[in-house]
Amino acid sequence: MNELLLMCTIAGRRAAIHAVQVQSVIEIENITPIPGTPDFILGLTALRSQALTVIDCSLALGLDMACESAEQRAAVVEIEGHLYALLVEEAHDVGEAHSAPVEVPGGFGDGWQRAARGMVETDGGPTLLVDIEQLVSGGLREAA
Amino acid sequence: MDELLADFVAETREMLEQSGSELVAWEADPSDKGRIDTIFRFVHTVKGNCGFFDFPRLEKLSHAAEDALAECRAGRREPDSALVTAVLAVIDRISEMTDCIEAGEDFPGSGDDDLIAALEPGAEVVVQSDLEVSEEDDAGRSEKENGDSAAAKSPRQTVQRSIRLPVDLLDEVMKGVSDMVLARNDLARRLREAGEQPTIDGPFERLSAILADVRTSITRMRMQRLEHLFSSLPRLVRDLSNELGKQVMVDFEGGEVELDREMIEMVRDPLTHIIRNAIDHGIETPATRLKANKREIGLLKFAARQSGNQISLVITDDGGGINLDKLTAKAISAGLYSKSEIEKMSEKQKQNLIFEPGLSTAEAVSSVSGRGVGMDVVRANIERVGGSIEVSSKPGEGTSFHLQLPLTLSIIAALTVGSGNQHYAIPRSYVEEIVFGNSSHVEFAQAGDRRLVTFRDKRVPCLSLGEVLGTETGKECIWEEKTLILVRLASDDVFALAVDRVFDHEDVVVKPIAPAIMDTRLYAGTTLLDDGRPMMLIDLPSIAQMRGMTGGVRTKATEVEKDERSERSRAVPVMMFAGLDGRHRAVRLELVRRIDTISVDAIDIEGDRSQAVIDGEILTLAGHDLGPLPEEKIRLLRLSDGDHELVYAVREVLDAADITDDVVPSEADKSIEGVTLIGGKPIPLLDGHAVFARYRTARKRQQALTCRIPGDSEWAKTILEPLVEAAGYRIAEDDDTEADLAIALAEDGDAPKGEARETIRLRPDPEDAGDDTIYRYDRDGLLAALRRIRTGRAA
Repeated sequence: MNELLLMCTIAGRRAAIHAVQVQSVIEIENITPIPGTPDFILGLTALRSQALTVIDCSLALGLDMACESAEQRAAVVEIEGHLYALLVEEAHDVGEAHSAPVEVPGGFGDGWQRAARGMVETDGGPTLLVDIEQLVSGGLREAA
Repeated sequence: MDELLADFVAETREMLEQSGSELVAWEADPSDKGRIDTIFRFVHTVKGNCGFFDFPRLEKLSHAAEDALAECRAGRREPDSALVTAVLAVIDRISEMTDCIEAGEDFPGSGDDDLIAALEPGAEVVVQSDLEVSEEDDAGRSEKENGDSAAAKSPRQTVQRSIRLPVDLLDEVMKGVSDMVLARNDLARRLREAGEQPTIDGPFERLSAILADVRTSITRMRMQRLEHLFSSLPRLVRDLSNELGKQVMVDFEGGEVELDREMIEMVRDPLTHIIRNAIDHGIETPATRLKANKREIGLLKFAARQSGNQISLVITDDGGGINLDKLTAKAISAGLYSKSEIEKMSEKQKQNLIFEPGLSTAEAVSSVSGRGVGMDVVRANIERVGGSIEVSSKPGEGTSFHLQLPLTLSIIAALTVGSGNQHYAIPRSYVEEIVFGNSSHVEFAQAGDRRLVTFRDKRVPCLSLGEVLGTETGKECIWEEKTLILVRLASDDVFALAVDRVFDHEDVVVKPIAPAIMDTRLYAGTTLLDDGRPMMLIDLPSIAQMRGMTGGVRTKATEVEKDERSERSRAVPVMMFAGLDGRHRAVRLELVRRIDTISVDAIDIEGDRSQAVIDGEILTLAGHDLGPLPEEKIRLLRLSDGDHELVYAVREVLDAADITDDVVPSEADKSIEGVTLIGGKPIPLLDGHAVFARYRTARKRQQALTCRIPGDSEWAKTILEPLVEAAGYRIAEDDDTEADLAIALAEDGDAPKGEARETIRLRPDPEDAGDDTIYRYDRDGLLAALRRIRTGRAA
């Protein structure tokens, strides 16, 4: 059960992504915006010779505020052959999950409820496990 | 499926493909020993491979075929058409079984024994394969008699010295090379910044060259000869023509042309469909052909050529051609077009109707073609991979399909453009022409909210890329400042796409984009610029569709009545520019020698004196008094009257244009020749004469003659003074002791204050008073007098 998670902060809350899905954590320098796309797609950034689609996790969750990140840290994930950079406010260490993701009575609140696979116990306390497939597809946005 | 099994399937497939044409050739001449050998090797290999796996049925079949063929090779049995048919049936079955093995299914049904029995000498032909290989009919026999059929001539397959590699591995290597190219570019930039270093630059050049070579090789690794595609076609043609009771031979040209293997797979289906159509609809039955004085065997010809990074593939049949009457009738009955619309169409447009959805000219729906999924799907598929298809047909002589295909799926020729501070790529194959919005050949018009542009007597709808992408609204768009890209879609629809700038032609490597971006339907992919920044590839067909720019024959560019008047008048070439005040002006092109760009520091203005330093030369500057100088760099038109040069400061050089309308002189502004219409807008035409007259004299101020004019006369100040100055005089100040010339008004009676060596008296009335005065509006007379005095002085 002790799964490894990448701990990060999204919209001021503790969140986690399965570490196996994360290829690396990068600091984004330049983003080329793509006009005509939903606002959670910030644009493209280049990692070596590959283009990554930059996703603002906060906006993708359907929250109203954009991700404010001094270091522009992002987790690089590959979903269905496409590379994404998930922009988070802060990316911390990789930690262990002490429990399976569980639902909490009353839910996690708007946006979070749809994106979260559940709450896991970690060293840093309860953390929401984020479903990155949901995040990048924009399905959350439409639902919001 | 385990790896060994995958290899078995792949190898069997490959051999099936290669033996396809051998089989047909063998059928044409069953006694050909060479062909028997090849086919024998195939069944033998299959049999051998089956020993490793548990495929008893496959083994039994291949074993039986091998036995029969071995008898023939040993000369104990004479191969005949019955044997050929039986062996073909067995090979078909092997192919089907291979498919099932790959899919991990059990091969259903039986009948293997029948197939094997058919191989026995003297066996009755009761073979049932899925392709209905029926008893050899007359057609088959006559094909054999025509032993010179194309298939028989086709070269024997040679064993390739090659290895099999997973495409993933190739992609990975290619990605690595792309990374290296980017790293090289980065390094190159740093080296440039560091200045010349011979010890490093040499090896670096070598590295760059090697890298370029490696990149080319890697690209070629993904290539496959078209033979791979061609080799499977004779079999297809044979089966189809047998089924339809026609006789067709095939001819190939350019099998050595290489194409990206993915691309080959993409065109396989469209090609198959075209072949089906050609045999079903195009090529007539032998009896009809003989009546039409043609050889009873139809010819289907494939010719491939490479030109640049495009492959052209032409498929020609010598059949009856497209029956336009039938086609148009069908289009009308299907409700696609009205009769009057059809009547207006050109021959070519009518032929293109075969690409319309829902049309099929086959009288009866056969199993082969005419099921409604037709050429529209073919065209859509070919366009999807960035290609195009055209048809040309002559009644009674045949039909040709011209396919244009990009070499690879991933590298396309693109035009890089700018819109809203960003770069985008546009597939070059769609770009017909690039024109500037402010060019005199371009006229904008508006119908409702739709912008239209008239260019070369065609009126086409106009889209702004910024507006399409949502970075600007249509209202803020200044069309005249845009660059227009005339886009011709494969469907022949034309529209203009306005962008801020066109940068360059480039071959770009296109990578797929995330589904969420795809959903916008604006982009087809992404690519990386040399400096590693991403750039989006615009999906033109999709945008055209969303914006309603496609509509088949109906939205073709409308011809505009030619304006004959403009053709009659002579054209004077001019250069358009924006002066420092931002207003557009024009100057005769003959006057402009070149355009300089200099730093503002090199300009010196003090009082009336204004000069610019260009390459160590001091030139008089004009045009600077119209508005503020720009911050850093300034553009200068260098004007020449043949002997002298001066520079004219402008904010921006716009374009060359032709004056076709009359120049209407302006009395109010003496710096211009007049105003003319360029592109429907009034543009002042700079008077070169006036400019030179004004500024050349200013430079020669020291030597200029002085002229005293009546100081208290309004007329003298406003009208006379410029004229006198233009003639090369300086207006004398009150404190000048002695002027070279004085101009007096006759009605004033006395000369202006101060001394003057000469005096010209002007009279207010046109009538000659006989007192040596000059009428004040007699410009020529006055100028002549001024000239006379000046030259007299100078001498």
